[in-house]
Amino acid sequence: MSTTTIDTPNTDAARATTKAMLCEGNEAAALAVALARPDMVAVYPITPQTSLVEKLASLIAEGRMDADIVDAEGEHSVLSVLQGGALAGARTYTATCGPGLAFMFEPYLRTSGMRLPLVMTIVTRDGITPQSVWGGHQDAMTVRESGWIQMYCETVQEVLDTTVMAFKLAEHHDVMLPVNVCLDGNYLSYGASRIELPEQAEVDAFMGAKDVNWHVALDPQRPMAVDPLTGGSGGNGPETFARYRRGQCRGMQSALRVITEIHEEWGQRFGHHFAPLVEEYRLDDAEYAIMTLGSMTGAAKDAIDEARAAGEKVGLIKIKTFSPFPVAALKHALRSVRALGVVDRSVAFRWNCGPMFQETLGVLYRLGRHIPAQSFIGGLAGADLTTAIFHRVIDETRALLTRPASDEPVWLNAKD
Amino acid sequence: MGQAYSTIAFDASKCDGCGECMKACAGAKFESDDVRRSLIQIMPKAAAATGVAAKGAFELALCRQCGDPKCVTVCPAGALGKDGATGVIDWDASKCVDCLLCTIGCSYAGIALDEYTGRVSKCDTCDGKPACVPACPTGALRHVTTARIYNEVGGWEDLFAPGLAGCQGCNTELLMRHTLRRVGPDTVLATPPGCVPGMGSVGFNGTTGTKVPVFHPLLTNTAAMLAGVKRQYERVGRKVTAMAIAGDGGASDVGFQSLSGAAERGERILFMVVDNEGYMNTGMQRSSCTPYGAWTSTTPVGAHTRGKTQDAKNLPLIMVNHRCAYVATASTAYMEDLYAKLDKALEASEHGFAYLHVYSPCTTGWRFQSAMNIEVARKAVESNFVTLWEYTPETGLSFSRPVDRPLPVVDYLKAMGRFRHLSPEQIEHIQNKVEENLRFVQKIAEKEHG
Ligand code: SF4
Repeated sequence: MSTTTIDTPNTDAARATTKAMLCEGNEAAALAVALARPDMVAVYPITPQTSLVEKLASLIAEGRMDADIVDAEGEHSVLSVLQGGALAGARTYTATCGPGLAFMFEPYLRTSGMRLPLVMTIVTRDGITPQSVWGGHQDAMTVRESGWIQMYCETVQEVLDTTVMAFKLAEHHDVMLPVNVCLDGNYLSYGASRIELPEQAEVDAFMGAKDVNWHVALDPQRPMAVDPLTGGSGGNGPETFARYRRGQCRGMQSALRVITEIHEEWGQRFGHHFAPLVEEYRLDDAEYAIMTLGSMTGAAKDAIDEARAAGEKVGLIKIKTFSPFPVAALKHALRSVRALGVVDRSVAFRWNCGPMFQETLGVLYRLGRHIPAQSFIGGLAGADLTTAIFHRVIDETRALLTRPASDEPVWLNAKD
Repeated sequence: MGQAYSTIAFDASKCDGCGECMKACAGAKFESDDVRRSLIQIMPKAAAATGVAAKGAFELALCRQCGDPKCVTVCPAGALGKDGATGVIDWDASKCVDCLLCTIGCSYAGIALDEYTGRVSKCDTCDGKPACVPACPTGALRHVTTARIYNEVGGWEDLFAPGLAGCQGCNTELLMRHTLRRVGPDTVLATPPGCVPGMGSVGFNGTTGTKVPVFHPLLTNTAAMLAGVKRQYERVGRKVTAMAIAGDGGASDVGFQSLSGAAERGERILFMVVDNEGYMNTGMQRSSCTPYGAWTSTTPVGAHTRGKTQDAKNLPLIMVNHRCAYVATASTAYMEDLYAKLDKALEASEHGFAYLHVYSPCTTGWRFQSAMNIEVARKAVESNFVTLWEYTPETGLSFSRPVDRPLPVVDYLKAMGRFRHLSPEQIEHIQNKVEENLRFVQKIAEKEHG
């Protein structure tokens, strides 16, 4: 089962050599990229990702990172340059957010279709329109049917570790899909924490050989047509197209296993253990639970601890891997829960709820048990999701034990 | 593969009928001063029998050393044959049965009965040093060695599959095959959406139309993707040419940002635009390279509209202002010029951004008969509608084929159905724009050289 309960501190005995330091999430992501030794990074600055690409530029300028940096004229070209690089054999990386992600949508769709193992940080941002340059998950949620793997991080350390792991995941032959490491704009991007930076040699041993374009290449020594036209009626065109799509779906499903394996290996090597798919926090005897995503989880855990101290039988489910959606792991987490509150930092316009809530409804159906579940939406456009707010979430979720859930989402941080 | 030829070209507009060429020929071939023995015959134009001394009033009877010689086809004795190396058509006196069928087969009066010998005779270009050409005081005669290109490249590998699905007489297919022959197999080729992939360069359902690695970028990102390919090969120390064969629409419109960005960064790629002045493979819609007045399916001709209402964007000049390592315009009507520019562009793409803009008449979208393709391309240049030039930051801009006596642009326009509806005012607008553009480029050329 691909769930991990994080309740024991890391033991020094299991730990590889690391260096402790204080850094912000964007800086941690850049340091992780350097550790993964990409050949090519293409960048375009956009708030709140900017300090990440600045850090990359300075790492390269100082000779602490050996990569070709392409200062492209926009995010559309950023991703396109990297696609060309990957097709020629380069390990590639970029970062973006919000409008930048929207602008790269056309090549973004293509990266997963060509099964290119790019890694891209989304420093998540709300918007576009009403305008906002602050955090929120709407950008990343908007592209959830694009065939990319998406993992959301809770802490700066998790950003660093997940970013390195993302390269190994993307290049795994059973996966071969691009990966987004989502780090919350403002909260993680600029929030400084103590981190432990693994030694380069240890990361090299973890990563193994680069393996980017064994399956698809632009190389005169192996001439092939990349991404020929498929489909149409008659002939085997539609079947060819369907085979590609099924392959992508298979890669996504394989990723659930590979993410788990890679997290286990990482934990063994570096002593940093993160739940790969779904974290179950104080859930064993919980009667009801709340679900979180990303950096909000810290405040939520504090609220859970306080509620537990007051005798409440409440637990927390943190989604780490959002795409592919961890159906089996979430079913396990929900095994004994009788009421559920799901907190999203974005909206699913079509369903009048949060996207994670919407996804969870499908899992509840597959679970075969009817559990009252409530959608909460908060933390939009940089709003704080405080421990006090999570107490409200806990209270309203507890109430579901005795009354049905509302079809309306509960808008946290909203003036009614 | 067609056979090579070298021949003697005649510019009637320069000929004043002095007859020096005929004298030189008769002297060189027969040690005679009788111009009737000359194998080159200059004659007053039948329709312009008056004003015989005027330039342009003469026509030529001479062997063209045709690529597909009818004299050779009709000769029952096998006495005529085209030399594979020089392309000259040789007459073998020992095999000739004097039937004179060859003289009927030739449309140019290029092989004729020599009354002195009673046998046929014809021009053999004097073993590559024709006596008539240097004898001409006005430069009306040129020894054209088009053979050079055929002889050089004829043996090179055609890197496209046979049977690409182009329209009949498609100029772009001609261009693609020649270009890739020159560029060679150590190439990664990008063919963004347009006629080039539509023809099958990037195949269907897993097939491919090329023998080099090829990809179908987005219409919007060709230059960026190629830059990524090239940079990675440079990083690992491999010499690979990264080349685009792109249409004008994507390059000048939605792909322009990527093109401009790559040029500004000096990405070491070769970007060729095949300018057929519109989105031709999707049904002939206008692009920003479509000229003023042209009919397209989105600038139709009706009671309220008379074709496109704006002038074309001058993409090659915009690229000059990026200070690319190399920028040139070219035309398939001037193959030697095109090949010379390809050589330079390839070389430049090893140290900077190289841009080649090739005018490519579209039989289907421009509405003319497919056999007329090169003729249309040539008239575009001869009328200065299209100017042939090249630019490097070191040498500036210079014309590679200036036109001394341009045709009126209407001669070019009337070759195509897409301009059939033009009013005299529209034609005047186009003529004025052609002259304005020419002056503009000339000024840049002067300034760059001054
Ligand atoms: S020598 Fe030149 S000008 Fe004189 S007749 Fe011959 S082609 Fe014409």
